[in-house]
Amino acid sequence: MSDTPAFEDRLARLEEIAGELEAEGIDLAHALALFEEGIENLRAAADELSRAEARVQRLVERADGTFDVVDPRE
Amino acid sequence: MTGRRQPRPSSGAEPDLFALADPVIEPPRGASEPIVSIAGEYPGESARSAVAVSVLTQTARDVIEGAFIPLWVRGEISDFKSHRNGHWYFCLRDSTAQIRCVVWKRDQRGIPAPPDDGMQVAAYGRLTVYAARGEMQYTVTRLEAEGDGLRRKALEITRARLEADGLLAPERKRPLPRFPRVIAVVTSPDGAALHDIISVVRRRGADVRLVVVPAAVQGQTAPEELCFAMDQVNRWGGADLVIVGRGGGAREDLWAFNDERVARAVAACHAPTISAVGHEIDISICDLVADLRAATPTAAAEAATASRAELAAELRKLSLRMHGAVRAGVRERADALRHLGRDLAGAAGAHVAGRRGALQGVATRLHALSPVATLARGYAVARDADGATLSSVAAFRPNMAFDLVVRDGVVPAIVQPSPNGDVA
Repeated sequence: MSDTPAFEDRLARLEEIAGELEAEGIDLAHALALFEEGIENLRAAADELSRAEARVQRLVERADGTFDVVDPRE
Repeated sequence: MTGRRQPRPSSGAEPDLFALADPVIEPPRGASEPIVSIAGEYPGESARSAVAVSVLTQTARDVIEGAFIPLWVRGEISDFKSHRNGHWYFCLRDSTAQIRCVVWKRDQRGIPAPPDDGMQVAAYGRLTVYAARGEMQYTVTRLEAEGDGLRRKALEITRARLEADGLLAPERKRPLPRFPRVIAVVTSPDGAALHDIISVVRRRGADVRLVVVPAAVQGQTAPEELCFAMDQVNRWGGADLVIVGRGGGAREDLWAFNDERVARAVAACHAPTISAVGHEIDISICDLVADLRAATPTAAAEAATASRAELAAELRKLSLRMHGAVRAGVRERADALRHLGRDLAGAAGAHVAGRRGALQGVATRLHALSPVATLARGYAVARDADGATLSSVAAFRPNMAFDLVVRDGVVPAIVQPSPNGDVA
């Protein structure tokens, strides 16, 4: 649907980053790069969360056996 | 006999026996002979006008079928047989009477399971005559057993069949996606279930598309419609999670979710499934094959979607972990640096102190040896103009100038002339 990573991918990456940062003996420059990436992901994820909205649609099968997902007529 | 074999007039003042049916105009099935009609006699009045057996049974059938409306009849099942031709035969009896019953194959769909001998049942049907045997027969189209026995039996049968096919195995259960983007909801488009699911998803602020796939959830067509809807979900392939269910209702209303075909359709779904048949107590067959059983549609929607508040909390936690880890890392390094600095300073200090001590020792020793110290004690040193020490009388001559070095300076001096002209 879009090129931006899905929320769950961001969350998984954040878990990874936190885990790496917590590991012993991580190189300082690497840690700072990870941290920056983490902050970026956090912001994007929070953004996505605030924009989240449920949509309700309906599956319609056409005569040729293909499908349409349509918004309800309201 | 000539003239006697005339067809009975289709109208006229014949006896009422034929009022219900008109065997002359419509000869009975299997009747080999037409009705013998004799003037002044009704058929069968005398040996001469005797009617065929088939006429008798057909007439009885017409009378009986015309006289009874369909009824519920209760009794006990005995001699149940499921014939090769697909029809069911049994006797319904009480302590003093019995009647033969049949359930045609086409009517069996409305009956949950074949009854067992000894079951107390109520049978709905019509009384008829089985002409070939000259027997009364009850043609049953609906059957209900005491204590819902047939349904329980049907459930057991279905369950056993699904189990035999491995469809109930726990290892078949698939995990649900944590963040489904498209959830297909197979239910009635105007039922309470859909309403509940939508409101839960909205309340939780889930980022999801609900795609309704309409199906009747009760009534005769419900199993077919549910199967068809599940099939549509599969052919479409756009959902990553499927909720199938309905709101609560009477047990009969939920029966479609115990249908083996529906259960198999749910089991065949390409995406993980949540069954949500709105009754908390009984478990439906669909519940058994679905990847997750939710007690109600509301619970299904909660299981299907993550709430915004929970996710926000999770993000906060991750943020704290990251900050904490980085802060801890920096602090650790700062501490290390401080320690190193302290160590360095300490080492340097020790070095310097050592030197200083050594210097002091040397200085003290130097001092002890120094002529200055001797001078300090009140001695003086005489030196000539070249700075050479004059330490003997022989080094002096009369009138010779020399320096006298004392504790705090130098005093110019001259050797006195000798009274006898010589230095002493």
